[in-house]
Amino acid sequence: MLEVKNLVFAYPNQNTPWNFQFSVEPGKCIAIHGASGSGKSTLMNLLAGFLQPQSGDILWQGKSIRNHAPWHRPMTSVFQEHNLFEHLSVEANIGLGIHPGLKLTEENRQAIERGLEKVGLGGFGKRLPGDLSGGQRQRVALLRAILRQQPLLLLDEPLTGLDSDARDLLRQWLLEQKAHGTLIVLASHDEEDRQILADSVCSL
Amino acid sequence: MLPNRHLAPFSRSGWRLWPGLAIASALIVLSVAGMGALVWETSLPSVNELWQSRYLRTVITFTVWQAFLSVVLSLLVAIPIARILARQPSFPGRSVLLRLMELSLVLPSIVAVSGLISVYGRQGWFTGLANDWLGASWNVYGINGIVLAHVFFNAPLAARILLQAIESAPASQRRVAAQLGLGRWWYWRAVEWPAVKPVMPGLAALVFTLCFTSFAIVMTLGGGPAATTIEVAIYQSLRFEFDAGRAALLAMVQLAICGSLWWMAARHGLTASLLPDRQVASHRSRAGSSLKARLADSAILGCFVLFLIMPLAAILLRGLPGMGMAFFPEGSFVVNPALLDATLRSLAIALPAGLMSVTAALLMLACGTATSRPAFTRLTDVAAYLPLMVPPLVLGTGLFLLFRPSLGASSQGLVLVTLINAMMALPFVLQMLKGPMGSLDSASRQQADQLGVLGWYRWRWLHWPRLRRPLALAMAYGTGLSLGDFGVIALFGTPGQPTLPVLLYQQLGSYRIDAAAATGLWLVLLLLALFSLFNRLGMPARKPGLAATSPSTASEPEHA
Repeated sequence: MLEVKNLVFAYPNQNTPWNFQFSVEPGKCIAIHGASGSGKSTLMNLLAGFLQPQSGDILWQGKSIRNHAPWHRPMTSVFQEHNLFEHLSVEANIGLGIHPGLKLTEENRQAIERGLEKVGLGGFGKRLPGDLSGGQRQRVALLRAILRQQPLLLLDEPLTGLDSDARDLLRQWLLEQKAHGTLIVLASHDEEDRQILADSVCSL
Repeated sequence: MLPNRHLAPFSRSGWRLWPGLAIASALIVLSVAGMGALVWETSLPSVNELWQSRYLRTVITFTVWQAFLSVVLSLLVAIPIARILARQPSFPGRSVLLRLMELSLVLPSIVAVSGLISVYGRQGWFTGLANDWLGASWNVYGINGIVLAHVFFNAPLAARILLQAIESAPASQRRVAAQLGLGRWWYWRAVEWPAVKPVMPGLAALVFTLCFTSFAIVMTLGGGPAATTIEVAIYQSLRFEFDAGRAALLAMVQLAICGSLWWMAARHGLTASLLPDRQVASHRSRAGSSLKARLADSAILGCFVLFLIMPLAAILLRGLPGMGMAFFPEGSFVVNPALLDATLRSLAIALPAGLMSVTAALLMLACGTATSRPAFTRLTDVAAYLPLMVPPLVLGTGLFLLFRPSLGASSQGLVLVTLINAMMALPFVLQMLKGPMGSLDSASRQQADQLGVLGWYRWRWLHWPRLRRPLALAMAYGTGLSLGDFGVIALFGTPGQPTLPVLLYQQLGSYRIDAAAATGLWLVLLLLALFSLFNRLGMPARKPGLAATSPSTASEPEHA
């Protein structure tokens, strides 16, 4: 279970600090809902370890991960954009999720190719992210997150700006992940995303 | 559970922090120890001598005056040239001209001076024209020639840096200015000056320091107390008068003046890069420049190109006929051993010096990314600029005195020369690598952190593709600067074992002008060959693989 306990954070010129508190079970999705500037992305960055809270704690399976470095936290983030390394091929971008030094086995490569085919990007492995559409890039980012096999997915507006076909495909895919036990924290403005994916809502 | 089962080698932040800090500290310690040894081993003259000795007063005044004049004239040439190059983004040969302007930094000064003498000397092309048409008398020796040579070296570099600053002006501002139809003066005030202003303090400090510490130019074009700079006076004190105390005192004066200047420049912000990027901008500035304006621009640019090209052409034309004789003297079929030895000796110093400067720069930059502690940042900043201010001759002599008990063979003296050359190239190499090293945006850094792409893996997959070409170029510059060095080697080299610049100086001294011209041309050709070689080495391998392109340099043209 993921537990966020009285997590307090404020930027240097911010008068009133944010205070986050919620808990989620594995296999569930919590939607973080709020207006622009309400702290959705800040919460995602705190969970991922990109920002350090002033107080409070983050527990995973009962153990504090508050002081863990980002690479030691059991989660993968997917943002609205800037998820891929532009100079690396699609295959390399996904491969970095499997091995951070790109030491991939033949089995790994086959898993990447199968994954790409599943999301309709078969044969795109050698392409650069710049050659892909927005929806295709998000599919690559999500595929990497899934092949990384972390129990927690942090999604910050991952479907914003995509066409309806891409959205449907990715939603379907996220539901499958949930069914496999992945815990999803979803920050989204979109009512439909929340209705389809979320089991609970945390309003900021 | 630890998500990243594959921990990257060298992933602890200490690996990034400590080697760079150690190098920065070593640089500061070496500089202080070098100067300290000189002061310790000799009796330092009283500071009052600076005011009482007419010679020292003249030397210091002349050094400041020629550097000031050189800065003013270099910027007066550079600003209009940069503006014209920004206004005229597409004329034939523009990219070659830009490469030529960058090359001025590494062109061996002793070679360039021989080219300048061919054009502006007593028998020079320009002097002949000036005498015939204008009836003016002109003497290249003394302050005229020194300032001319400094402008020849620094105006192109300054123009290239200013061009980069102008091209970095926001496109939106340029569009608005074009829509409003601003004239040239108002375009300068509204768009170009705000872009150029932040670069100016650092650029002026850089040019001033380069001219202030100039050695080979003043050695060849100066003469007598009236045209001697501090650096040359230090050389004379050490080499001919054996007065190390005076050398140390002069070194302190130099350090105090240059140090204060950089301190003032740093207070105005030294964030802008002081070396040109390799990227040639593709933006188009105001359309619809009139034919008259374009003709005026072409005329000014033509004069500038002539100013740059004429000495280089002179080097080529004078050196070419003697090349055969220089390599195969008196019809021999065996390569001239003197030239071959000098070439090999030069390369044996320059290549390790280049490698050392690049390695030190990388480690110091990595240190900057590993810490935000102001004390560490200040330490690396001081170490980065220190070699620009500490006279290499003084440093070399001090270190020589320090290591004297263990320094014996001439090869050990060459090791010292290599070390000092590496230190002298460091500020330039650092500037070259600073941008690409910091080009990993925060989103990419966060992703890499989360995926565990750290340490060696981050270097291999994220930094190396960005740094490959700049590294090769920095290596070329580091090696080139050392290859053309005629400062430290003049003091520590033995006449019987010269490097190419020393051989050239010896040939000039014994009036073997044709041989000197050939050696000069050979040195320039060697430099161009090195740049081509490193440029080729910097290109990404074209094999199908996981990494596809070099991100910041994909569209870069080849080096001239």
